[in-house]
Amino acid sequence: MQGGSSGIGYGLKYQARCISDVKADTDYTSFLTGTLSLKEENEVHLLRLSSGGSELICEGLFSHPNEIWDLASCPFDQRIFSTVFSTGESFGAAIWQIPELYGQLNSPQLERVASLDAHVGKINCVLWWPSGRCDKLISIDEQNLFLWSLDCSKKSAEVLSKDSAGMLHSLSGGAWDPHDVNAVAATGESSVQFWDLRTMKKVNSIEHAHVRGVDYNPKREHILVTAEDESGIHVWDLRKAKVPVQELPGHTHWTWAVKCNPEYDGLILSAGTDSAVNLWFASASSSDDKTSESPVESTRQRVNPLLNSYTDYEDSVYGLAWSSREPWVFASLSYDGRVVIESVKPFLPRI
Amino acid sequence: MAAEAAPMDEKAKRMRDLLSSFYAPDPSITTSNSSINASFDNINSTSFDADQYMDLMIKKSNLEVLLQRHVQMAAEIKNLDTDLQMLVYENYNKFISATDTIKRMKSNIFGMEGNMDQLLQKIMSVQSRSDGVNTSLFEKREHIEKLHRTRNLLRKVQFIYDLPARLQKCIKSEAYGDAVRFYTGAMPILKVYGDTSFQDCRRASEEAIEIIIKNLQTKLFSDSESIQARAEAAVLLKQLDVPVDSLKAKLLEKLEQSLDGLQIKPEEASKLVEHDDSSNDTESNDQHPAKIHEDAVRGFSEAMRAYREIFPDSEERLFKLARALTAMHFENMELYIRKRVSAADFLGIFRIIWEDVVLMDEVLPEAALSDLSAEAAQVTLKQFVARTFSHLQQDISDTLLKFDINQKEAVEGEVLKVILEASQKAVLQGTTNIFQDFRQLLDENAGIFIKMRDLISGWIQKGFQDFFRSLEAQFLVLSGKTSSSNDIEGKSSDKIHAGLILVLAQLSVFIEQKVIPRVTEEIAASFSGGNSQAFENGPAFIPGELCRVFHAASEKLLQHYIDTRTQKVSVLLRKRFKTPNWVKHKEPREVHMYVDMFLHELEEVGKEVKQVLPQGTFRKHKRTDSNGSNTTTSSRSNTLHSDKMTRSNSQRARSQLFETHLAKLFKQKVEIFTKVEFTQESVVTTTVKLCLKSLQEYVRLQTFNRSGFQQIQLDIQFLKAPLKETVEDEAAIDFLLDEVIVAASERCLDVIPLEPPILDKLIQAKLAKSKEHNNNNNNNTVSS
Repeated sequence: MQGGSSGIGYGLKYQARCISDVKADTDYTSFLTGTLSLKEENEVHLLRLSSGGSELICEGLFSHPNEIWDLASCPFDQRIFSTVFSTGESFGAAIWQIPELYGQLNSPQLERVASLDAHVGKINCVLWWPSGRCDKLISIDEQNLFLWSLDCSKKSAEVLSKDSAGMLHSLSGGAWDPHDVNAVAATGESSVQFWDLRTMKKVNSIEHAHVRGVDYNPKREHILVTAEDESGIHVWDLRKAKVPVQELPGHTHWTWAVKCNPEYDGLILSAGTDSAVNLWFASASSSDDKTSESPVESTRQRVNPLLNSYTDYEDSVYGLAWSSREPWVFASLSYDGRVVIESVKPFLPRI
Repeated sequence: MAAEAAPMDEKAKRMRDLLSSFYAPDPSITTSNSSINASFDNINSTSFDADQYMDLMIKKSNLEVLLQRHVQMAAEIKNLDTDLQMLVYENYNKFISATDTIKRMKSNIFGMEGNMDQLLQKIMSVQSRSDGVNTSLFEKREHIEKLHRTRNLLRKVQFIYDLPARLQKCIKSEAYGDAVRFYTGAMPILKVYGDTSFQDCRRASEEAIEIIIKNLQTKLFSDSESIQARAEAAVLLKQLDVPVDSLKAKLLEKLEQSLDGLQIKPEEASKLVEHDDSSNDTESNDQHPAKIHEDAVRGFSEAMRAYREIFPDSEERLFKLARALTAMHFENMELYIRKRVSAADFLGIFRIIWEDVVLMDEVLPEAALSDLSAEAAQVTLKQFVARTFSHLQQDISDTLLKFDINQKEAVEGEVLKVILEASQKAVLQGTTNIFQDFRQLLDENAGIFIKMRDLISGWIQKGFQDFFRSLEAQFLVLSGKTSSSNDIEGKSSDKIHAGLILVLAQLSVFIEQKVIPRVTEEIAASFSGGNSQAFENGPAFIPGELCRVFHAASEKLLQHYIDTRTQKVSVLLRKRFKTPNWVKHKEPREVHMYVDMFLHELEEVGKEVKQVLPQGTFRKHKRTDSNGSNTTTSSRSNTLHSDKMTRSNSQRARSQLFETHLAKLFKQKVEIFTKVEFTQESVVTTTVKLCLKSLQEYVRLQTFNRSGFQQIQLDIQFLKAPLKETVEDEAAIDFLLDEVIVAASERCLDVIPLEPPILDKLIQAKLAKSKEHNNNNNNNTVSS
């Protein structure tokens, strides 16, 4: 982390994969992250960016029974979050609550609100209702998609509906459309698939192989960004999902995660296994015109979409989250357990 | 007068004054003038008072001055005296000569009056005589005149009576001109007296004229008659008040129909051109088509010339016809060049058309045919240039796709090399040909081309610029990197052979380094003129930009090649890691077969790369080492490694993690992702690195039991030797292989590595097996 890095660092004890923005915390910019250690006592860290934005403070440290593969903060209650964990042989998912007055306890324990036990397969992720107070959850394992109703007061979760994608698809992740709360995208082996939650049926798909990460553009409807193993990043318009609207080179090795900025349209962050985080600007206007332009013209006018590449990581970067409170701040997490908070403010004027 | 005299010298002025006062009828006029400016002491003024002057002098001056003045005055007086004398003498002389002259005149006039009287008398007598003669001859003359008039009248009557016969005679001798002249001469009389005295006569002559008109019309329409004769016929018909407009319309229609015959049909065009080589043997046969065409056009223009003379008011129509012919020529030309046409053929046709245009232009200079055809020629030429480029592009992509690289033996043979060489040749040869063709265009001296030389240069430059740009785009489409809008669903990227992408990448480099500089040189040498008109947009051909474009393209394509290759391996690895349950893995018995497949893929990459890319400067010396020595080195490093592993195993895993972190810190950070270069080694190395990184990532996603970990350990250990053999950057490979082991150990529930002897044994077994397999294969190939 030495030398020229503007980022604020924070070290976890163990390796880690996932970091999440605490959306419901309106007073502070905070992130939740959990470790991934097969043999050690795993921890969940609640990190808070100091008001000056110069320090990353550990607000809370909670032990977690298993290694954490996915973590998502509840959008309406800052104390609630979900994790997907593995015991080595099997996977599970649970909703947790950070205890009140946790600062005063010596070794605060997480309260388990609910377990999502209906899964038998390898769970990949838990998605929260994109915004607002709604107690709906989605969990995805390799073959199935479950819609849950969560009752925090009763500490229970019920399966509302489920659908199976089939054996061959082996789902790996997903995203909930913030513009249409009935639509969910899930990434699979050879395609990105879309479900309508009302009927719980597959409605659409983009045939595109090896998609790792997927994110909806929160500012523009129908725009979806995917990250792939070898072929970089693609921006899709769901109304004409045959061909990508735009193509970004991505990373030298796999592009693992991709996140759209919640406030600034076209600002895309991607994390890769080449130990780098890249900041892109996918100009939305040019992507619309591009189809009408001749290919020669567009290559001439195309500006470099890569705004910056943050390369100060020692290992592959898997975790990536924008802050919703300060949308120019993002947190990244490399496999060696290092959280780095960076501000993209220097690049904003160019947009 | 006084004012005029001012510049004169003193003496002359005084003389003048003296003379004028002498001759002046009224001395007061001159004196009054001089008295104004002269003071009273001016001796020349009339108001001069000697006494007063004297007084003044005496009063004013002393003796000396007076004396001086006296002497001066005396001298002046003397001067005046001589002047006066001279004057008098001269005047007197003149008087004498005048008197002499008058005296002579008097004596000459004397006696002239008598002569005059005599003359008058004689004239009078002549007049009376002539009057007499006149009166005596008057009557006779009257008579003669009357007779003469009668005779004339009679002659006319005679003419009218003779008219039919004469007309018949004219018809017989086909002297229609005379006939018409006669008839029109007799016309007024026939009109007045036709119904009375000359009834028969009129009828007969009208009949004759009817025949004449008929004959004339047939003559006008018959193509065998000379144009001259037909024109005359037309003129005569017009004189006879026959309505010629309908005739004209008919004739022009005929002319229009003849246009069809003049067309240069695309399919015959090539025949027209080959005049040189076939002219010898076709002598006996029909005339050569080019010649025929030329004659036809000549005939057409002659006809136009004739019609223009015959019907001066039909110009518009003729213009239209000529324009139509020109337009048709160029349309056909466009059709013609839709097929592949060499510049020589193109020029041949162009020359013919231009000759036609010149021929017609001579006849109808007002039709502005040359302007029209210049415009049309511009369009056609532009199309020709554009088409030439698109043909070249087609050629290149044809060459690229000609070979079926999907065949199984493609990898074994040298197909890629052949394709690369063929396409390189196609590009070079193509551009050279284009330059040759265009140089021909520039050297052509036909009228239009001289004007358009600048334009052509501009087009050619722009053509090259566009050509290279679209070539680059096509490369990308061919490589499957960008899908062209046309065949979105057509080709999936699977169908495109990775080798082709590599060839395209190398071809881009070739274009960047060889072709573009050459083209730039050629353009600078031969086609630099065109810049003048394209200055607003900057020069049309920008080699720097193109180089940049192709440089970027080559890198992109190379990257794409590596991507597609690693993607294949990635799929392989994915399957390998997704399928088994690693937590319940059984003890490793042998090296897993995915390693073979991985190595096989690498081998393919190596083969492809060797065919296409140049070797890097860095050469491995180890390459010549035998297989055996390699295994020994690998086994040595293996023991080292397993030492480390056992050590780390004995410690707690937490400290192990710490240790790896620490080790990373102290180890020189290995640059895994270096820039790819266009060498065999660099590409192979990058592919291997990326694949190993993928392997590491896949490992990280799994959880292993002891046996699973051991299996990974075994596979990696086996990979070490062959990978090091193929790759130039051993440190990086070592690092990555270690990373895979570390990742596996991190994800392992129970890390106990295989014992080195067992590891070695398993590897040897695998080596022996693969050797046997190879031998079998070799035997098979030999026997087959």
